[in-house]
Amino acid sequence: MFRYPSLEDCPLDEDEDAFQALGEEDEDIDQFNDDTFGAGAVDDDWQEAHERLAELEDKAGSGREPDGPVGNDGDVLGDPEDALAERLTRLVIDSELEDPAIMQAVHTREPPQQPGGLNSSIWDSSAVLRRIRGPLLAQEMPSVSVLDYALPQRPPQARDEERDPSERALPRRSSSPIIGSPPVRAVPIGTPPKQAAIPNFNQQILCPKPVHIRATMQQRYPAPYGERMSPNQLCNVPNSSLLGHPFPHSVSPVLTHLQRAQLLGGAQVKLLPAGRMSPSQFARVSGLVGSPLPSVNPKLLQGRVGQMMSPAGGFRAFFGAPPAPPPSQLPHPPGPGSHLQNLRSPQMFRPDTTHLHPQHRRLLHQRQQQNRNQHRSLNGSGGDRGGHRSSHQEQIRKDPYANLMLQREKDWVSKIQMMQLQSTDPYLDDYYYQNYFQKLEKLAAAEEVHGDGPKKERTKLITPQVAKLEHTYKPVQFEGSLGKLTVSSVNNPRKMIDAVVTSRSEDDETKEKQVRDKRRQTLVTIEKTYSLLLDVEDYERRYLLSLEGERPALMGERKQKICDIYDNLRGKAPGQDRLSDDHFMQIMCIRKGKRLVARILPFLAPEQAADVLMATARNLPFLIKKDAQDEVLPCLLRPFSHVLYHLPLGTVTSLVQQLTNLPQSAAAPTNLHLTAVLQNKFGLSLLYLVLSRGEELQSSDTNTELMQDNQWTELMLMATRELLRIPQGALAKPVSIPSNLISLFSRYVDQQKLNLLETKLHLVQGIR
Amino acid sequence: MNYMPGTASLIQDIDKKHLVLLRDGRTLIGYLRSIDQFANLVLHQTVERIHVGKKYGDIPRGIFVVRGENVVLLGEIDLEKESDTPLQQVSIEEILEEQRVKQQAKQESEKLKVQALKERGLSVPRADTLDEY
Repeated sequence: MFRYPSLEDCPLDEDEDAFQALGEEDEDIDQFNDDTFGAGAVDDDWQEAHERLAELEDKAGSGREPDGPVGNDGDVLGDPEDALAERLTRLVIDSELEDPAIMQAVHTREPPQQPGGLNSSIWDSSAVLRRIRGPLLAQEMPSVSVLDYALPQRPPQARDEERDPSERALPRRSSSPIIGSPPVRAVPIGTPPKQAAIPNFNQQILCPKPVHIRATMQQRYPAPYGERMSPNQLCNVPNSSLLGHPFPHSVSPVLTHLQRAQLLGGAQVKLLPAGRMSPSQFARVSGLVGSPLPSVNPKLLQGRVGQMMSPAGGFRAFFGAPPAPPPSQLPHPPGPGSHLQNLRSPQMFRPDTTHLHPQHRRLLHQRQQQNRNQHRSLNGSGGDRGGHRSSHQEQIRKDPYANLMLQREKDWVSKIQMMQLQSTDPYLDDYYYQNYFQKLEKLAAAEEVHGDGPKKERTKLITPQVAKLEHTYKPVQFEGSLGKLTVSSVNNPRKMIDAVVTSRSEDDETKEKQVRDKRRQTLVTIEKTYSLLLDVEDYERRYLLSLEGERPALMGERKQKICDIYDNLRGKAPGQDRLSDDHFMQIMCIRKGKRLVARILPFLAPEQAADVLMATARNLPFLIKKDAQDEVLPCLLRPFSHVLYHLPLGTVTSLVQQLTNLPQSAAAPTNLHLTAVLQNKFGLSLLYLVLSRGEELQSSDTNTELMQDNQWTELMLMATRELLRIPQGALAKPVSIPSNLISLFSRYVDQQKLNLLETKLHLVQGIR
Repeated sequence: MNYMPGTASLIQDIDKKHLVLLRDGRTLIGYLRSIDQFANLVLHQTVERIHVGKKYGDIPRGIFVVRGENVVLLGEIDLEKESDTPLQQVSIEEILEEQRVKQQAKQESEKLKVQALKERGLSVPRADTLDEY
């Protein structure tokens, strides 16, 4: 905090003191702003901005003092000037969204180098600023800041007389549609009169209170402005393209940044109704504001900026006696709307000229024709304009309007777009894109492997890499205030519905379950198991993302969940030893249940999986009957084959036993169980799989236990017999036929029977 | 080739000549000067191009600020191929006249269609209830 030695008597000082006293609360207020508008929304330090405004006012006041012109008493203003410049520097460095991820992404693109040392990066780099500032402030112009220096030496003032005649001639949008309407000069109702508005722009809008006006630029810098154009004129230059000047030659090819900034300042106002104004634009406008622009009255800034950044005005009013009436009380509230009206592009006219008087229309037509011709010739004739790409580049380079959007603003747009993609868990937040992208990558990889066709370069979306930090919200509390000041913000929206998840006690549930029918209960079980399954599936991803230390715990959790899944599946109640297949069968009768089992199997431990497989085999005829409509059982084949791959011979043997219901009691004339299995696609395929696995074990492992071996042989003999007995027509079409089945059967049957079997199987294959 | 998310991808198109198709069917051609996150556009040296059949006409419009929601299509114009068009440029008056004639013809045919449908006891939704300018 600095003081003005010569301005002690300034009434503003009270205000300064008030700010000092409230210094410790500033942090709170900043936090408050952040919480309410989101981080970065009010990135500009409102207090700083405000101080600068106050400071400007001081200077404006001192300018009228008899001691001497402000421009020369550097000793008085030297200090504040330094501090101001420093702040300005800080302001420039201040990037509104400090997120490292975004910054990284943004800084990958180098800002384009701009010609001109002074012009190059007033807004970009503080180093440059300091470099320029040094000599400037120290010597020639002690009290004039860089910005003063860089300003076009002419007050922003547009003279209607100087403007393009074509503007005047062209009908305005709101011109009267009556035929033979008065010439376009006629002032449309509702819009402020143009004649009055533009020339008075400076007085009325820039300086709502003429009392505070310092010597205008013109007076202070009587340098001839010759051919140079004022920023306001620059604003209007585009309009002159009607007359056929694509780029005015009178303008130096590269606009100074300030000119550009002012140009934009004008343009921004036009932009306003089209969308929100960006913080960076605020920042820049206020940056301009903060600098001691001689011709710009602080009031204007307060009016202009204050309306956009309510905290600046609002808090001032809140904290102390404001030195000036708030903008709304000014005689001419310079709201964005009025700006808009004043700056309304004059060449807007209706597309259809049919409402015009024929003669007028002809005139208009002639003029436009002329314009176009000029336009064409200036652009190197409409025919061969920009004949080469390079010439296009040249054109861009020559274009004095290029880079109207500063790098800073471009960065701001990219940042704001990047912010939306930030996420701690992209898989959760953006599931479909993630999956789509994975698919794309897989496709690309496959293409590369095949190597066919020219390599297509795939476009990749740039996304921020670092996850955002959790924002903890603490409601702001002012001492002595009653109640809570803030209840909601962008980060913490107000809770509209207080939905509480009430978990009922287990007793209630079981009681209810007894009442409900069994099917519904099974459905509930399936849903519960599904959510468990999804959790388990997520663990792989979480494992990869987790730190080394957390992994054992994660693994433990996962194991527990898998056990829960298994228990759900088998309907194992605690304390119950003997498992009944009943529960499992209920699940397997429901389509979703079958798919669930197919998805669960890969996660289960081998014994658990074997148990599931066994239960399925045991009750296969029943399942087949139930599956007649759904026909989803085949989806189980693949997981089953994976399970089989890990099973020892003993289990495989018993599996075949279960599957074929052998040895059956001699009393039964036909093996209904086996018939049912063989007649079903899934059943037969499963049987083949199991047999194939058995054969694999037999052939690979020669020293199996004799007992098991005998059992297997015995079983196979019986099975082959059954297979031979079954009429060929009763055999279903299996999904696949393992290749080693022939060698399997060759062990247990003689040649004749083998041939018979072969034809049977071959036939089956042939049909397939 | 990598691209930025959302309208940030437009940043590299700045200061190039673009054709913008608006929601109301108008076609603008101009230099893209500035964008924001809503794809609000600032076009410079804009012309509004009206196509009727094989003819087209340009109406100079100066600076055009387009609200992002109205943009249907935006594309850079290849300055190499810009003049390489089978279309014939005509004066503004002529193109406006052509447009008027075309619209009138369209209205006539619509009217006939409605009439014919009415005679058969059918009704069609009126075209002017749709969002057209």
